[in-house]
Amino acid sequence: MIWQKIKVGFHKLGSPPIFYRLCQVLSPWLWAGFAVSLVIGLYYALYVVPPDYQQSDSFRILYIHVPSAWQAMAGYLVMSILAVIALVWRIRTTEIMAMAAAPIGAAFTVICLATGSIWGRPMWGTFWAWDARLTSMLVLLFIYLGIMGLYAAFEDKRKGARVACILILVGLVNIPIIHFSVEWWTTLHQGRGISFVGESTMDASMKPPLIWMIVATKLLFTAALLDRSRNELIDQDRRKGWIRRKLGASV
Amino acid sequence: MIPQFEFAVFVWTSYAIFAIIVAWQIFQPILRRRRLEAEIREELALSQGEYSNDPHP
Repeated sequence: MIWQKIKVGFHKLGSPPIFYRLCQVLSPWLWAGFAVSLVIGLYYALYVVPPDYQQSDSFRILYIHVPSAWQAMAGYLVMSILAVIALVWRIRTTEIMAMAAAPIGAAFTVICLATGSIWGRPMWGTFWAWDARLTSMLVLLFIYLGIMGLYAAFEDKRKGARVACILILVGLVNIPIIHFSVEWWTTLHQGRGISFVGESTMDASMKPPLIWMIVATKLLFTAALLDRSRNELIDQDRRKGWIRRKLGASV
Repeated sequence: MIPQFEFAVFVWTSYAIFAIIVAWQIFQPILRRRRLEAEIREELALSQGEYSNDPHP
């Protein structure tokens, strides 16, 4: 019985007016949650946590670098799930969401690469090294840009989305490469040290701002995804009656 | 009060990049929605022959 309800609810999301309404309702709450977690996270990261005994204050870059890197990869996984749903069930709203996720994931990848390079200058003595972690992260950025470019290249948006969804699934192979690169190869980038369950090289006192910033990036991704998806839906359905009725009343 | 850090240039540059990209993620959808709404309003006015709200008659 409950599965039937979930199934019906899932299929209802395929209806553009229901999806539009869902985005409209959820988005402000997600932005509010993002603002609250960001303020708390930044307050802890910049004012409360003491300097690291080896890296001094430069370690504070970690509080934006690590959540962005994790979100860049998590965003790709979300986009891949949406791509599978879009390819198998041909649900247009999931196609739209998969395409809307690419620029947000690319933005997080740029933050990760830029802040990592800036941190690397005082700590490693160089902005860039062609090691496995950094290079695979750069490849992720190129994949994101490729997906965006491929989607934009098609005049028929649905055809463009389907082709881009295939590219998303091909590019998925890069995610485990990024994750395990520090174990498979000898890299300048440090190995996995941060863990919230079990052993961690990070002191417990340094974890709260990281948790808040991780929550903030997750909420930012979801809120931006819903906003961009709603815009794309408006653009695609601009000549349809339901969107004209909705917007005609508000504009 | 702005905290005084060692490696301040590196720390603040990183946070500035983060702030700019986050701001873009917030404002880009808002600006695009405004543009889309303006376009649809114009199309509606043209199709219905209502030019009373047209700022450039």
